[in-house]
Amino acid sequence: MEQKVLEIINNIRATKDMAPVASLNGSDNLRDDLGLTSFDLAELTVNIEAEFDVDIFEDGLVNTVGEIYEKLQK
Amino acid sequence: MALFLYNGAKEYSYEMLVDSINQHREYFPLYKTDDLFAYFENLVKAIAAGRPLTLLDSDLSISEIEGLDNGAVNVPVKLDDTTYSSVDALVAAVLDSSSEITIFTSGTTGQPKKVVHSISTLTRAVRVSRGHTDDIWAYAYNPTHMAGLQVFFQAFANKNTLVNVFNLQRNDVYRNIAAHGVTHISATPTFYRLLLPYEQPYLNVRRVTLGGEKSGTQLYDNIRLIFPNAKINNVYASTEAGSLFAAKGDCFQLPTGLRDKFCVVDEELLIHHSLLGRSDSFKLDGEFYHSGDLIEWVDEANGCFRFKSRKNELINVGGYKVNPSEVEEAIDAIDGVRQSLVYGKPNSVLGNIVVAEVLREDGSAVTDVDIRKSLRDKLQDFKIPRKIIFVEEFTLTRTGKIKRL
Repeated sequence: MEQKVLEIINNIRATKDMAPVASLNGSDNLRDDLGLTSFDLAELTVNIEAEFDVDIFEDGLVNTVGEIYEKLQK
Repeated sequence: MALFLYNGAKEYSYEMLVDSINQHREYFPLYKTDDLFAYFENLVKAIAAGRPLTLLDSDLSISEIEGLDNGAVNVPVKLDDTTYSSVDALVAAVLDSSSEITIFTSGTTGQPKKVVHSISTLTRAVRVSRGHTDDIWAYAYNPTHMAGLQVFFQAFANKNTLVNVFNLQRNDVYRNIAAHGVTHISATPTFYRLLLPYEQPYLNVRRVTLGGEKSGTQLYDNIRLIFPNAKINNVYASTEAGSLFAAKGDCFQLPTGLRDKFCVVDEELLIHHSLLGRSDSFKLDGEFYHSGDLIEWVDEANGCFRFKSRKNELINVGGYKVNPSEVEEAIDAIDGVRQSLVYGKPNSVLGNIVVAEVLREDGSAVTDVDIRKSLRDKLQDFKIPRKIIFVEEFTLTRTGKIKRL
């Protein structure tokens, strides 16, 4: 699951000409550390929903990679 | 000293604005800038001097707009030597101006269309009174669009402070609201959605306005938690007509004095041309303009109604309107693409996101990254599909048209 999330995030970074990240930490902030804008976050939700059938933003904003993992483990 | 604008770590007083305008007696009729103070200075200077101005997004590529001369962008034009003795004199000159301001609307076909507005249409909804003296506005809209102009004029006419929060991250928005004692926020539902989840209340905020998209009751409930002292209202404004009516909850009321300026045909709201800006692209039906907004009456006798949906196919992405035909045209022009179909998909962050289904030429290996990169030079970021699905065929409707979901 973590590998898949990494892949999805790196795909988004690729379209922005940003280098892929080698690994994710639970504490990584999606905006500050990974450089995602609100448009990117929208894209992230769509791709995660397609993969895991969970809308991570359904009940409010998710800020870190760890919070994504939590939603996916529920 | 009244503060005009907080922008990041910078602050600007109204006196600085007046001084800067008095010192630099030239302006840019076509101006592209990322610097919000410079943008406002240019706007106020042009309007106070009664000169025409075209507002451009800082990330707009000029090729997106027909009939606009790229060579004229950021070229200064001399103004006469008029100076303003005070902030009040400057405000009065702005509100009394005969300037014409050109803004752009997403057209129903192809490229953005020009709409020319007078200062009187743009300031129609502005309320100036002593009750507004201490308002402090979070500035949450794109400054070159109708809603951003509405908030600017409301604040400027009352010499209020603007706190720029447009495109800021959640924590920075909250920090600005708290640090500068923001009392008024006007923004898209997406802006408020990005402030969730509720963590703590912000008690200074007295007024919260939503505009631009439909929003659900869950969002209202959350906004009430975050801003417990705020009155929440909704505003209907359009690039074509400016601000027309505000309401509580999701119902709107036609203003009594303007009742004859609206009519409803086949559920669609029609607006009398006298309320509109000027544009070659408006198609009038007699004296009325088709707004494309479908409404239902809540109380017809009193002019109360609710918005149902849009008649045309524009996709609302976080308050930005995207025309699917324009995006399809841009994708279809890419090598290796045979045809594309663009539509909106509901999204918890932005309301909708743009999705493209793409049919490749035989043997083409064009990837989604290739397509998105090549669109970056042609379209503004919010128009670029965030999901590209490669398909073997499109589902056709019974009439043989490509089906939009």
